[in-house]
Amino acid sequence: MLPVTSTQEPVAAATSARSRSFLSTQDRSTTAGPALSSGPKVSKASTIPPPVKSKGPNSGALVRQMRRIIAEDAEWSLATVPLLTELCIQHIVKNFKNNPILKKLPPQHQQKVLNHLPTDLPLAVTANLIDDESYWHRCCVQRWPVCHLDFHGSSWKRVFFERHLENLIKHFIPGTTDPAVILDLLPLCRTYVRRIRVDQFLPPVQLPPQPYSGEQSDSGSEGEMDEPTMDHYQLGDLVAGLNQLEELDLVYGVKDCGMNFEWNLFLFTYRDCHSLAATLKACHTLKIFRLTRSKVDDDKARILIRSLLDHPALEELDLSHNLIGDRGARAAAKLLSHSRLRVLSLANNQVRAPGAQSLAHALAHNTNLLSLNLRLNCIEDEGGQALAHALQTNKCLTTLHLGGNELSEPTATLISQVLSVNTTLISINLSCNHIGPDGGKQLLEGMSDNKTLLQFDLRLSDVTQESEYLIGQALCTNREEARQRTLNPSHFLSPLTAKGPENPAG
Amino acid sequence: MNPQSGPLGVLEDDKDQHSASGILGPSIHSENPQERIQARRLRIAARLEARRREALGEYLDGKKESEEDQSKSYKQKEESRLKLAKLLLCGTELVTNIQVATDIREIHRRVEEEELKRQRLEKLENEVKTSHDKFDEITAKWKEGKEKKIPQELWEMLNTQQEHCAGLIEDKNKLINELQQELKIKDDQYVKDLKKQSDDISLLLERMEEQVKSVMKTFRQELNHIEKAFEVERQELLVSNKKKWERALQAHNAKELEYLTNRLRKVEEYERQLSKQRVWDFEEYNMIKIKLEQDVQILEQQLQQMKATYQLNQEKLQYNYQVLKKRDEESTVIKSQQKRKINRLHDALNNLRLRYAKQIKQFQEDNQSLTSEYKRLVIQYKELQKSMRHFTLIDDEKFREIWLMNEEEAKDLISRAFNIDRIIHTHHLGLPWTAPDFWFLKNVGPISQRQRKSATRILEEVLMQTEEEEEEEASEASESYLDLPKRVSAKTTRKILMLLCDESGFLIESKLLSLLLPLEKDECYLLRLDAIFSALGIENEDDLYKLVNFFLKYQAHHLPSSQERASLALSLDSGKQLDLQGEEEESPKEEEPPPSPRLIHPNDVLKILEAFVMGLRKPRDTRAPVKLLKEVRDSSKDSEYWKALATVVSQATQNLWDGLYLALEKYHLVLTQRAKLLAENSALEQQNTELQVLLQRYLHSKVNSELQIPPIQVFQMPTKPSKP
Repeated sequence: MLPVTSTQEPVAAATSARSRSFLSTQDRSTTAGPALSSGPKVSKASTIPPPVKSKGPNSGALVRQMRRIIAEDAEWSLATVPLLTELCIQHIVKNFKNNPILKKLPPQHQQKVLNHLPTDLPLAVTANLIDDESYWHRCCVQRWPVCHLDFHGSSWKRVFFERHLENLIKHFIPGTTDPAVILDLLPLCRTYVRRIRVDQFLPPVQLPPQPYSGEQSDSGSEGEMDEPTMDHYQLGDLVAGLNQLEELDLVYGVKDCGMNFEWNLFLFTYRDCHSLAATLKACHTLKIFRLTRSKVDDDKARILIRSLLDHPALEELDLSHNLIGDRGARAAAKLLSHSRLRVLSLANNQVRAPGAQSLAHALAHNTNLLSLNLRLNCIEDEGGQALAHALQTNKCLTTLHLGGNELSEPTATLISQVLSVNTTLISINLSCNHIGPDGGKQLLEGMSDNKTLLQFDLRLSDVTQESEYLIGQALCTNREEARQRTLNPSHFLSPLTAKGPENPAG
Repeated sequence: MNPQSGPLGVLEDDKDQHSASGILGPSIHSENPQERIQARRLRIAARLEARRREALGEYLDGKKESEEDQSKSYKQKEESRLKLAKLLLCGTELVTNIQVATDIREIHRRVEEEELKRQRLEKLENEVKTSHDKFDEITAKWKEGKEKKIPQELWEMLNTQQEHCAGLIEDKNKLINELQQELKIKDDQYVKDLKKQSDDISLLLERMEEQVKSVMKTFRQELNHIEKAFEVERQELLVSNKKKWERALQAHNAKELEYLTNRLRKVEEYERQLSKQRVWDFEEYNMIKIKLEQDVQILEQQLQQMKATYQLNQEKLQYNYQVLKKRDEESTVIKSQQKRKINRLHDALNNLRLRYAKQIKQFQEDNQSLTSEYKRLVIQYKELQKSMRHFTLIDDEKFREIWLMNEEEAKDLISRAFNIDRIIHTHHLGLPWTAPDFWFLKNVGPISQRQRKSATRILEEVLMQTEEEEEEEASEASESYLDLPKRVSAKTTRKILMLLCDESGFLIESKLLSLLLPLEKDECYLLRLDAIFSALGIENEDDLYKLVNFFLKYQAHHLPSSQERASLALSLDSGKQLDLQGEEEESPKEEEPPPSPRLIHPNDVLKILEAFVMGLRKPRDTRAPVKLLKEVRDSSKDSEYWKALATVVSQATQNLWDGLYLALEKYHLVLTQRAKLLAENSALEQQNTELQVLLQRYLHSKVNSELQIPPIQVFQMPTKPSKP
């Protein structure tokens, strides 16, 4: 594509640029460009096509060329002969793969080159050379239809590299794929990747037909396969190379296995666990670690948590949807007092009263933890009461999720006492418990003295509608006050608590 | 916001919600049970709130009125905000309801599962127990069977064993079947659950979408409402402003009209005034014109005159100009001449300068040579002086000696004369002789009233002496000391003088000081002291010694030590007075050690000087005429003296002596004759004796004996008669 020449009007430039951006998204409808450009340009367009057709040997390239020609056409309408600079830039773009010239160009030409570079250039060329967001934007859009820029620090380059790396890890088959595939990428993406989010680790292929053949999957007798052969990709080398890594989000499992399902596919082996623990210990920049849906049991949790003790940067630990029991919870409690953890999630595990008690003990004097999630465990009243006692002394926790923990009235009584004392809690979730009407009344009493709580979820917990409604009113008042305090209405965008009356589940 | 505003928002919000739910929200007739639940909940909430509103209704009305005065847009904003908040809350709740429902289902499932598990475990344990019992039974029977010897029995027993085993296996199989049945049921249930969950998820998605849509819609609606409210407010504002504007415009128009009429009236008036003014002005103009024409004529005349004078002046000036021009030319000529002269003079000046420089150099050289010569001469002069002093001393001495010698001689002569006179008087004349008593006879040595030396001279001497004292030893000095006052040693004097010189520099003229600078130390002191003495009025030796003694006295006076000292000083003073009158009479008894001048404090010098000057004033006047005398040793008295000496024998005596001389000469002649005669006599006597001796000898000689007649005999006879 030729840049705007000096003789051309800025309006034309704007329209051409617009047409370009439109074209990139609108599936290259050839008519859009000329429609946007003025009349005489169309007439000129007819003169160009012959060289265009000769240029495009394959369909993809042709389409791209077509896109270009329309824009070129807009330029040619006024400048009959392309400038030498234009020709040079075209040439640079064409040979960019072999001879990348970018930094030596003046800024306006750099921009033009970047706008015209193809997205399938090898990463070894582009990774450290091109910082331009629009180029990486094009690359991302071409590879993935949906990209969430917000998840990747608002940088398209980061989006590209993180997703590219995740993709490679996801499709890595130990023993079959060459580890160099990932490690070669390491020097290129080292400074851009801050977050790895992998929701699938493929197991090594044992007997190629076995995991994918439908006949044997029914038998369900594969439980006694040898463990070592089921190890997944070891992250150690990769993570050690990424010096900016802050977030690690892993799921040891296989997606879309369909009828090839085997229990073995979802096996988080001890060796995996040990190597992951070593990786975590070595990665000092890590802030967020998530390991969900990976069948982490007590022993593995203890191994992992032991490696995280006194970690310099870790702020969030998420081990939800695993098989962690009381011993794992005790380890997590120890971690609370030996790190700067701010968010801890043990949702959907098997923590019972003793585990909750040890967590409560750690929580009582903790000054870092902001959020604790124990959803779908079974801590029962004993654990609930211990936690409520801990909250009377804790001055830091803002969010507590105790949904689905078989709590009942005694816990509610204690929590209502906590509500009148504590001034830091903002959100409590007690949904799906058997709190009962009396417990609801007591909570209402507690709420009447509280001015800070903004969310209080009591859905499906046998509380009478009236008390739930009144609690909702109190929360409303608190929210208004908070809004007045901060003069920032953004609080309204994130409320999650129950306001309206609710029928109990029955 | 106060809590009361909440319900209002809630109400409207709920209405909204209802209308929305009519289209998108959950309906009671929905197929999904969850949705039905939701719909029912919403209905109940609406009813509850309606009831609540009725209770608060009246209060709200009042509230509304108070809100009236707030701006419409603000109200609209608040309303919308509350509404939207409510909507979002409801929406999120709606969405999360599914999760909660799933959670509780899961919990129930877990509880049931646990129960089932427990039952199953129990069952299995029971089964294990029973089967174990049975197995024990069977194994026990095996032992029994071993003991059995009879084949029939054994067979029977084996049969029963087989039956038992089959029963056991059947039990196990049954259990297995049951468990497998359960598993199948579970599988089915799992599939159902899976379906349910996928349903749930799809419902969740649907609701989320709905939520998004409704939220978008309501947001848009609210935006519209707010915009409308703003629009209305703006419209109202516009209308009111327009009205105001129109009113103002009308007022403005009326005022404009008024001003216009006023203006017209004024214009007419002014026009009238203008015409009047014009007539008057015309008349005045004519008058002035005539007058001015006259003036013009006069002025023209004057102009002519002025022109004439101008002409005259011009000529004069031209002449002057010519003259000046000529003068200028002359002056330029002169200037050039002067310049040339200046140049010449400059040359001359330069030459002269050169010469001057040369001369300066020469003179400097001369000066140097002359100064060196001068120095040499000074040295020579000093030497000369020294020698002169020496010679004067020697001369004095010689003079003295000669004088003494002559005097002695004279006195000898005189005494001889007196002796002779006395002898003459006593012996010859027989007169008593009185020795003549003349003053000069007692005189010994040269007659000199010891001349007072000038102060400076003494100074010089003192200084020189002290110098010399160091060089030559005391031998020579002791003589010169004779001249000095004896009580005060030269050193002391010198020190006092030094002190004086150092302390009373103010008495010396500054010019002199500058002149003194290049001189030697001693000379410097000398000149300084000279100056100081001249200032103080000290002229001669006496004054100087007075000064020195005054110093010592003063010192003694002011010594705080003792009275004796003072008295001693007094006596010293008296001694001093004596000394002043006649130095010859100085007595050695007063030669006491003078108080050390070291004790005189420099600060006291001025006081002493002052006292001294005051004291000196008085005697000064009386002595003034005397001081000029006796500069040179006068020899007038000498001649007198000598004449006197010569005329010590008076004329009368001389006359006497002359007479006497004549008489005595005659007498002498007589005497001489007599003496001659006497001598002749004596010679003859001697001849006689000699002849007698000779005769004797002859007589006594042997020859005589031998002779017949000794001559002795012969002679003896004649000799006897010759003797008288």
